[in-house]
Amino acid sequence: MKYRDILMEQEDLVSPGISACQGCGAELCLRTALRVLGKNTVVAIPPGCLAGAGVVGWNYDNGLKIPVHITLLDNTASFLAGVKELYDYLDEDVQVVAIAGDGATADCGFQSLSGAAERGHNIIYICYDNEGYMNTGFQRSGTTTKGSHTSTTPVGSLIKGKAQHKKDMPMIMAMHNAAYVATLNPAYMKDFVSKLKKAMSVKEGLSYLHVCSPCPTGWRFNSDLSIEVARKAVKTNFFPLYEYENNSFKLKKVANPEPVSNFLKLSKKFKHLDEKDIEEIQAHVDEKYNNLVNLAGENIN
Amino acid sequence: MMESKEKEYITSVGEGIYSINTGDWRINEPVLDQEKCKKCGLCFLYCPVFCIEKKDDYYEINYDYCKGCGICARECKSGAIKMVEKGSSSYAKN
Ligand code: SF4
Ligand code: SF4
Repeated sequence: MKYRDILMEQEDLVSPGISACQGCGAELCLRTALRVLGKNTVVAIPPGCLAGAGVVGWNYDNGLKIPVHITLLDNTASFLAGVKELYDYLDEDVQVVAIAGDGATADCGFQSLSGAAERGHNIIYICYDNEGYMNTGFQRSGTTTKGSHTSTTPVGSLIKGKAQHKKDMPMIMAMHNAAYVATLNPAYMKDFVSKLKKAMSVKEGLSYLHVCSPCPTGWRFNSDLSIEVARKAVKTNFFPLYEYENNSFKLKKVANPEPVSNFLKLSKKFKHLDEKDIEEIQAHVDEKYNNLVNLAGENIN
Repeated sequence: MMESKEKEYITSVGEGIYSINTGDWRINEPVLDQEKCKKCGLCFLYCPVFCIEKKDDYYEINYDYCKGCGICARECKSGAIKMVEKGSSSYAKN
């Protein structure tokens, strides 16, 4: 089945009106992911933008048309590991899926995710990476890009945005030997759908999907630019599309990658960066990308 | 919060679907020109609110929940979607 037919034929499993910002990348990823995952799914969403937007419901009403739990910031993966064990015990084949922001994944929730990956629970963990604690006012997180102007990494005479490089979550999960790891980007929907399908086919071990999720409000770009920002992240190799399974990497090569400045200049959170700052980010992007090229070896297409 | 039309959704927990009227948020709204539309479906793929609906052989904007982000207009390669001030077009309800 073609990916478009999959998307067109499936019902939207999210409430029609959730209060994610105009142009929110995470809302698009959530709706698309659930269209592919389908109804036989139990979801957990920790505190973060999507929980705050009402996806976990309110009072007696649900935010999804399927079961959804709001977990704590730090226990999403271990919570779902238990849920999955129960369904296994009952001999019911149910997909158990986390949809968590980068704070609940790379920072607060990391130890429970690391443990679940190491033990190999058969859950699908989706991280929408909008590079910060956007729901509470754009504080920096472990995955915030170096130089980003956030509310806790301001720009002034002493510091110029975040001082550290982005924590490389998908690579960290690959180094856990998770059953399947992939990076997904909403501008590349065919790839997005096929990687979700692949994660659904994994019946042993944890699948970790890391999604590039541009945030118009926190990154400060016009809401109509979300897809363009996501696309530039791939075209500049800032966010390479790759997969990991069975100890091997597979990388999608970008023909003639653009300089990372083409991605950075779209968001006002980077507008204070000077040439030297941009060069440093470019060097980091190149180093990460070359590392992937080496790891993928012949599996580059 | 819950409007009557949402009651039709089946939920395993709770009484209905929590939904807010995001259609109220729009300042500008998209208008789709069916003559220019090439039926490529890109707007359908990229609308974060999923309010572009696929009909038998055309696409239609459902204005009930459209937030007016403008992604559909920017991503349409055929220039078939334009953003106009809310209420200034006869296509757009609300
Ligand atoms: S993106 Fe433009 S051309 Fe394609 S279906 Fe939508 S309106 Fe029509
Ligand atoms: S303006 Fe935004 S919310 Fe409205 S139809 Fe277009 S993409 Fe969807």
